[in-house]
Amino acid sequence: MEKKLSEMKYEEEGIVKEIREGLKDKIAGMGIREGRGIKMMTKQPIKGPAVVAVDRANTSIGLGLADKIIVEVGK
Amino acid sequence: MKLTIDQRWDLVDRIAKETVEVGTYKPGLRDAVADATVRPAIGIPFAIAVLYGFWTFFGEFAGLFTDGFFVRIFGTHWIPFLGEKLAGLPDWAFTILVGDRAVFAEGFGGDPCFAAGGILTTGLFMPFGIVLWAVLALFLMLAVLEDTGYLPRLASLVDSVLHKIGLHGFAIVPTLVSLGCNVPGVTACRPLETRKQRFMMIALLGVFVPCGAQIGMMEELVPELIGWVFLTLAIGYLGFGWVLNKVWPGESPEILMDMPPYQAPVWSNVLRKTWNRTRHFLFVAVPFVLLGCLIVMVLYATGAMDALASALQPFLMAVFGVPAEATPSLVVGFLRKDLAIGLLPIEAMTTYQVFKSVVLLTIYFPCLATFAMLLRELNWKEILYTLGFLVVTILVFGSILNLIGMAGGW
Amino acid sequence: MNKVLLMGQANVGKSVFFNRLAGANVTVSNYPGTSVDFDKGRMLLEGKHVDLIDVPGTFSLQPKDRAEEVAVKMLEQEKDTVVICVIDASKVERGLYLALEIIERGYPVIVALNMWDTAKNAKVKTDVKKLEQILGVPVVPTVATTSEGFKELVSRMREAAPVAIEEITKSVGGDKSETHN
Repeated sequence: MEKKLSEMKYEEEGIVKEIREGLKDKIAGMGIREGRGIKMMTKQPIKGPAVVAVDRANTSIGLGLADKIIVEVGK
Repeated sequence: MKLTIDQRWDLVDRIAKETVEVGTYKPGLRDAVADATVRPAIGIPFAIAVLYGFWTFFGEFAGLFTDGFFVRIFGTHWIPFLGEKLAGLPDWAFTILVGDRAVFAEGFGGDPCFAAGGILTTGLFMPFGIVLWAVLALFLMLAVLEDTGYLPRLASLVDSVLHKIGLHGFAIVPTLVSLGCNVPGVTACRPLETRKQRFMMIALLGVFVPCGAQIGMMEELVPELIGWVFLTLAIGYLGFGWVLNKVWPGESPEILMDMPPYQAPVWSNVLRKTWNRTRHFLFVAVPFVLLGCLIVMVLYATGAMDALASALQPFLMAVFGVPAEATPSLVVGFLRKDLAIGLLPIEAMTTYQVFKSVVLLTIYFPCLATFAMLLRELNWKEILYTLGFLVVTILVFGSILNLIGMAGGW
Repeated sequence: MNKVLLMGQANVGKSVFFNRLAGANVTVSNYPGTSVDFDKGRMLLEGKHVDLIDVPGTFSLQPKDRAEEVAVKMLEQEKDTVVICVIDASKVERGLYLALEIIERGYPVIVALNMWDTAKNAKVKTDVKKLEQILGVPVVPTVATTSEGFKELVSRMREAAPVAIEEITKSVGGDKSETHN
């Protein structure tokens, strides 16, 4: 099942399916890339940023940006 | 040849497959803490605890040096010594260097460090007796927080709120730095991403974030009111930030920040960072503190201060509702906010009037040193808007506080 | 070669690394026309003093903020330079991404796998020899906080030479399209 990164729940894991153009350049160096596993570590309340983990590295990412990343999650 | 992003990642993954081996790693306590402190349920109470510890250390450390050491040195040795040695000077010179001669004879009401006002007395006591230690304590703790990896977590937590007013969670850093001294605080805005965020942050901290000097004075003179003053300033910071975000054009990009694991701080690194920021305070801010002191005392010595105070008195009394005795101190506030708090006639005012005056003095015109930094960091349009913003803020805030006071009959 | 650029992503221990190499004489400079500051120092390389520049941390050479823009500009304006690329040894993939970008632009690179001790604790093991073979540039494990590996790093700086990215691709079995078949 596909969903936006911003819709993932705590502790949920998935594979990055698609990153919208524009954002791809921005987050390439942070290790977030298509085909790689990603895990939702935390979501802050009142639409604050999320913290995601890729390859043992954690990144805090605003929800608007997380909207632009599509993740394939196991059912 | 250059690769595309996908090609490059493909190459990296293939190199890593042949060279990097990731064993099964049982997350330890450090990882558990690292995860927990960025989760709201534990992270928010933890952040409050850290900031409270921050504040306590700040007070204790600064108090140790200020009350335990410098108040005595200056009060019982340096100031009386100067008064004696310079007694032969003409009145105007004595006023500028030491303080009003008539008041000096009475021992400055038993509080010579704050009340003297001369360049060599209060002028030296303020930066070196009070502010330096407050600033040092703050920067030391901040460097420790940075080095351990806690700041990105704090930034991520506060981003929920700060992004609502167009700022970035990282804006917590210039805010904390400014609590020590606004001068390096303005510099700390540099990593903010867009011009808009930088302008907003500089304007907000120049107006709403009290510096170590002011906090030091509040601790000394009105410790019971600090909580209320901070609460009022925080409301102003968020409220006016929200308005600025609506009216000022430009982008407010979202947070995208690495969250490193916790690490033991490297002390050489901590000390270097602390020194770099303190250096700003010593070499940029202190000369302006002395200059401000000089101007204030010259105004006093020539009688210009009294003229200015009585000219502005009706206006200040009408808009802000402060008693006549408080107006000279509000006038001084344009030049020296910290000194002005010390000059407030606390006995002659109700508690609410003291609270109101302290808040107004805090959001007043930024100190001369900060203003010099604004000139360096902002363009003319932004500076004019900052000043306009300042005037509007003071009038709006002053009137609101005055109306609340009248409604409450305080 | 009269300049060494120190580059790396955020939180790889780069500032401690810089201070180890630069010693005492460090000056803070402002990149002209911007509000971005960087540190500059000098290091001893084969009996000669050369400038060492602490380039602001950047995740990639596609800048996402102003400090990163400056980092890219600083790299682009230097032609006669060696780049020390500092990588967090626990996050090799991410670091290699930046290292490859710098190599692609034709700079001689030496890779420091920093925080080697932390990586060991986290059970992340990198085959340094093999990585060196694949990349064709020196790779040195370091621990900046204790100076571990710094002697080797400095003595091997001269081995840093430009590498064609095609060579690296070849050494892991050709380009993408071939492996998919």
